[in-house]
Amino acid sequence: MKMFEIPPDYSDVVIPEKPKLKFLDKVPTLKKVKKEMKKLRDIQGPAKAANSFTTGQYAVVAMGGGYLHWGHMEMMRLTINRKFDSRTTFARWRVNAPYKPITRKGLGQRMGGGKGAIDHYVTPVRYGRLILEVGGKVELGEVEHILTEVAKKLPFPAKVMSRETLEAMQNEQAAMEQNNQNPWTFKQVVQGNMLGIRRVCSPFDLHHHGRFTGKFHLPGRV
Amino acid sequence: MAATLCVKLLQKQGWLPLAQSVRHGSKAVTRHRKPMHILKQKIMAVTKYIPPPRAAPPGAYPSPTRRVQEDNGLVKLMKRDLKNLFQDCKMLAVVQDNASNAEEMVILKHRLYKHGITVRVYPNRVMHSFLSDTVYRNMAPLFIGPTVMFVSKEPKVTPMLTTLRSSPHVTLLGACIDNTLLSAEGVLNYSKLPSVTVVQGELVSGLTMLTSSTAATLQRHPAHLSALLQQYITQQTAGPDSSAEEAT
Repeated sequence: MKMFEIPPDYSDVVIPEKPKLKFLDKVPTLKKVKKEMKKLRDIQGPAKAANSFTTGQYAVVAMGGGYLHWGHMEMMRLTINRKFDSRTTFARWRVNAPYKPITRKGLGQRMGGGKGAIDHYVTPVRYGRLILEVGGKVELGEVEHILTEVAKKLPFPAKVMSRETLEAMQNEQAAMEQNNQNPWTFKQVVQGNMLGIRRVCSPFDLHHHGRFTGKFHLPGRV
Repeated sequence: MAATLCVKLLQKQGWLPLAQSVRHGSKAVTRHRKPMHILKQKIMAVTKYIPPPRAAPPGAYPSPTRRVQEDNGLVKLMKRDLKNLFQDCKMLAVVQDNASNAEEMVILKHRLYKHGITVRVYPNRVMHSFLSDTVYRNMAPLFIGPTVMFVSKEPKVTPMLTTLRSSPHVTLLGACIDNTLLSAEGVLNYSKLPSVTVVQGELVSGLTMLTSSTAATLQRHPAHLSALLQQYITQQTAGPDSSAEEAT
């Protein structure tokens, strides 16, 4: 016998006054511009900030590390603002406006002569960070294709997730750690410095148990 | 800047090599995937995730006990309705109708309603699960395919059969009349039976035949009665003698 599903109830969903993504500046307003070191470790490893949901239901989550610059943010902002219905859906930024200065030397310059001038600003993004959060009186299916469109254009691999899928991913990782039948784990080997492996492993590997290499996340590792 | 320093050093101290090889590799975080040291590769291979062994793929073996699904509200309502139907109605006919559209159904329902027969449709699964719990479980094979039920309080078989005859694609499968299961032929025979009053009349007449015949003969002329009695006596006396003669 055919039974129909009850459609979801959106009576408790509140859409904020400004449902569209706000404009992010290309250059932060500072009194004194300072050149910064490269510090690529702001891309390494998993995200500690902004890796969980606040008000929205669906999000674009980074599956790798990278830098987002103003062009990416404009692309995201314009696509979302154009495609979303502001009466039913709202979106929020989960990344800051670009604040890290990237320097470049002029074309054809030889090595030396000091650090280059500031060319543009970027925001560093780690694995597991939420980029955009979307919510409102919609289901995932209505919003998914727009968010995947945005996720494909980002400089790092990104996925569209909902609260449930994010939780499922985290639970899966925890379950993998629990049900691992292998008596040897990367953590055990590196912490005990078995076979002198600390010679070829960095302290980064010690902290992240072999799940990350540089800015890349290795899936299926425990 | 480095060249000017070197020049100053050269002037002041001894010899410095002109070509200084600076060996540098890539940083830890690169755009490409950095080649891993072979020992680290080996450790990564040894410490791979081994999933727990799966007992059997789902669907490999049939489950020994069928999971009993709880009925939802609509099914419970239907079963309650069916229970009342079976208690109240004397006649339940099961009819198969393929290719009858809404118009024909409306006409059929109208014709039957004039004789007090209502048309009910229930899903076959609900019928099967309901009938398996009741006394009427032998009715279950009737409810296969697109079936419709005609129910009525009075067993009015003849009007039903006439309406069914007019619509050719509606076929009677069977019926339960007065707690007796009948097939299609059985229903036809039932319709040919005389009505209850006629049968009662026949029974009464059969029982009272003797008394009525005596009453009728007594009402005749007394001379006729006496002649009859005389004949009876002669028969009685002649009867045993004639039977004895026939025996010998």
